[in-house]
Amino acid sequence: MINANLKSSYAADERVLNNRYKQAFVYGSILALALFTLFGNDYLILIASQMGILLIAVVGINILTGYTGLVSLGHGAFVAIGAYAVTIFGNLGAGVIPAGLMPFVSVPLAVALAAAVGVLVGLPSLRVKGLYLAVATLAANFIVIFLIEEDLFAPWTGGMVGINTNVPNLLGWELDTKREMFGLIAAVGLVSLLAAQNLIRTRVGRAFIAIRDRDYSAEILGISLLRYKLMSFALSAAYCGLAGALFAYFYARILPEQFELALSLNLVAALIIGGMGRTMGPVFGVIIVVMVPELIKVLFGALAGDSAGAGQLRAPLQQIAFGVLLVLFLLKEPLGINQIVDRILRAANRWPFARG
Amino acid sequence: MSRAPREGPQPSPHGSGRLLKIEDLHLSFGGIKALQGVNFEAGAGEITGVIGPNGAGKTSLFNAISGFYKPDRGRVSFDGQDITTLSPDRRAGLGLARTFQNIALFRGMTVLDNIKLGGHTRLNTNVWQALRYFGAAQKAELELRREIEEQVIDFLEIDHIRKYPITMLPYGLQKRVELGRALAMRPRVLLLDEPVAGMNREETADMARFILDVQEQFGTTILLVEHDMHMVMDICSRIVVLNFGQQIASGTPEEVSNNPAVIEAYLGAAA
Amino acid sequence: MGQFVQFAINGLMAGAIYALIAVGIVSVYKATKVVNFAHGYLIMFGAYFYFTFAVIVPGQPWAPAWLASWQPGWMVEMRGELPMFSPVAAVLDWVANLPRILLGLAGALVCNAILGRIIERVLMRPLMGQSIFAMIMVTVGLISILSGAAQLIWTADAASVPYIAPNMPIRFELFGTMIFLFGTDLVNMVVALLLFGGIVAFVKFTKGGIAIRATAEDQSTAYSMGISVPKVFSRAWVLASTTGAIAGAILATRNGISPSLGLFGFSVLAIVLMGGLDSYIGVLIAAMVVGVLEAMTQWQMGGGWAEIVPYVTVLVVLIWRPHGLMGQKEVERI
Repeated sequence: MINANLKSSYAADERVLNNRYKQAFVYGSILALALFTLFGNDYLILIASQMGILLIAVVGINILTGYTGLVSLGHGAFVAIGAYAVTIFGNLGAGVIPAGLMPFVSVPLAVALAAAVGVLVGLPSLRVKGLYLAVATLAANFIVIFLIEEDLFAPWTGGMVGINTNVPNLLGWELDTKREMFGLIAAVGLVSLLAAQNLIRTRVGRAFIAIRDRDYSAEILGISLLRYKLMSFALSAAYCGLAGALFAYFYARILPEQFELALSLNLVAALIIGGMGRTMGPVFGVIIVVMVPELIKVLFGALAGDSAGAGQLRAPLQQIAFGVLLVLFLLKEPLGINQIVDRILRAANRWPFARG
Repeated sequence: MSRAPREGPQPSPHGSGRLLKIEDLHLSFGGIKALQGVNFEAGAGEITGVIGPNGAGKTSLFNAISGFYKPDRGRVSFDGQDITTLSPDRRAGLGLARTFQNIALFRGMTVLDNIKLGGHTRLNTNVWQALRYFGAAQKAELELRREIEEQVIDFLEIDHIRKYPITMLPYGLQKRVELGRALAMRPRVLLLDEPVAGMNREETADMARFILDVQEQFGTTILLVEHDMHMVMDICSRIVVLNFGQQIASGTPEEVSNNPAVIEAYLGAAA
Repeated sequence: MGQFVQFAINGLMAGAIYALIAVGIVSVYKATKVVNFAHGYLIMFGAYFYFTFAVIVPGQPWAPAWLASWQPGWMVEMRGELPMFSPVAAVLDWVANLPRILLGLAGALVCNAILGRIIERVLMRPLMGQSIFAMIMVTVGLISILSGAAQLIWTADAASVPYIAPNMPIRFELFGTMIFLFGTDLVNMVVALLLFGGIVAFVKFTKGGIAIRATAEDQSTAYSMGISVPKVFSRAWVLASTTGAIAGAILATRNGISPSLGLFGFSVLAIVLMGGLDSYIGVLIAAMVVGVLEAMTQWQMGGGWAEIVPYVTVLVVLIWRPHGLMGQKEVERI
């Protein structure tokens, strides 16, 4: 129970982990994650990897939509760009760059490419508001996926049937087990979460929030809407590109249909369900968005056995459940799980005193 | 990627400080003529008032000075530089700050964060430094924090509410926070749009005191739009009167309050 | 030249269908300020309902034989005397299908209207007065719900449905070349345009339509004038879902039944944005332009590239005219 939170220096007051409970939570989680990487069972590692990859992308969406208030229904395209770029660069540079150095070259390149395309896609945001931007990003998504599927580029992208991916080789250490990959994903995920949190503590993050809340007011404070909106797009696209690169390393093969509209909608839904504009929001959202379909799969397996008919029913059921979940949160708890957790923590803080 | 951060108010290189000059400003929206030939100069380090009945064009004038509207004709000069076509964010970079009639604070943030945003142009953290935070960005942030606490928050006596979200504050305090945010820019010219609108006598007196303190301590040139005649007559050294977009008088408070055109248009019975 | 005219006409016919789909989006937007991102899936449900009542129901063992195919004596006689592919034979085939076509259309209309009503009541009504973002995201959630539900009920298998009009080939000369059309496509176009015009007239001239426009401008004033705002919302959604039912049926006859019908909603969304969101005329023009551009692209670059025409076009238009070709600029009071 926390009675007061008083600091005696500005530096201490500016800290994020400004009380013992928060410190315990964060350091404890990191420790738990490390232990899990070493000892967790294979199935759970798989699930956690999916969550980790999705988390990085959703943190990116949080920067764009949660902090800056710009809506995008097409960021799956950047995940696709990241995934395909890292694979194609890997193939192109196969002879030239030693395998151990390849990820250190291809990943930044892929992320930079995603960011560059992000700036392009973000250009309409300078002139149009929310709704139009949503459709513009939707359009961009369709175009990117189409270009990937199109036969013209098939020699590089594999077209509709997809392409095999490479195994990442970090200075000689080949990450060819899922467990090792998870270690990488978890590390990258933590760093990206931290980096996003850091943004808020500086003028860049504040500028984003200012643009979200009242853009003309941000302007008279000297914030160039052009520069910062494009920066927001570039950052969020970069994050999604990074997630895509990890996705490509994790799975043996990538196909265009993994990056279609459904992915973009998943990202936004995860953000809303978890809670927009706060650091832990993406974490909560990603857990739900990955767990719920998984639970349905398990339930289905238990109830209906392994028949093909059951398999047919399972996918649409997952879809419906996903949509219902999103709608429920929008109707009942628009600020997401973050808000629920806030309430619980506040009540715990107050205990044993009554409300009010 | 980073510009040199801007310093606070400095003596004008152009000498006797006619810092803000409005020349023959004309502005219309479709058929509505908002401004028809406004002409005046805001003396450096002085408080100049802009008054007029509702709809006279005062806020349009401010919006033109801020850069939200491009005038049809005329010029806005800042320290000798023609800023008529500059975007609002560039004008802020030159040292022009402003508050809004309807309070334009950022409701998703605390008082402290809002005021920190005033310091935006004076920092030069770029995106890479921001993502890293530890290092240059942290240093800059702590310095900014210290400066804001000592020079703005103490000055405006809002230290007890500095961690509060804006939505929790009463109207009067929000106005004060908005002033604080503008002050954090260390502006050379400060535009105040109805700073005491909706305040009672005590709050008005407080605000007037703060405005005078700003002028004395920081030497800021202040342009003030207000309806509260007592306050305007009290603290302004020059007053410009607008009516239906036209400038009908300009001079000291005594001259203006005795001007028949002004009395007829606006002041009515007692002055 | 000839090929150009042929493809242009094909494009116009497609454009008419897009316009019909668009009218649902524009109407809901006009009345409620919400853009229904799931409209394509409403259309898809309309198509599936048509499929249900025109194919599944007549095919059931308990359905009367004449529902599946109406073959009165005089028709069998006439048919017997005719060669295989004559126009009259096509008309007779159509007449034989007429009962199930009518049942299909009626069923689609009624079921979609109910669906629209339910969606408005359950999903949109509770959000009245909240942020537009929330309402739009609800329609995004609706995409998953409708898409999954359709797959659950009807499975993802493709199927075909009876043409609404006789499928007779029409040949005529225009600008010195032979143009080749199918009667059914022409009728589809006419029906779409008529419906489109009807809705526009309704919104412009009738009391119900004026109520819609009043509510769109200022809800509270509309309320105080005695307009039942919830009723207006409900009506707008029913209007959207019923036009959607017809549009869905038409689309189904052209493209067959499959879950991918829902994707039309997104290309029409792009069209609606190009036309300016709240301007029927603008949307009609945009629909026609996109239809023709698609046809031209198909002609020059093959069918695949035609897919992304609406999306490329909308990006180009948005950069050039951010509020669409004929939309209204929003002015914010500072």
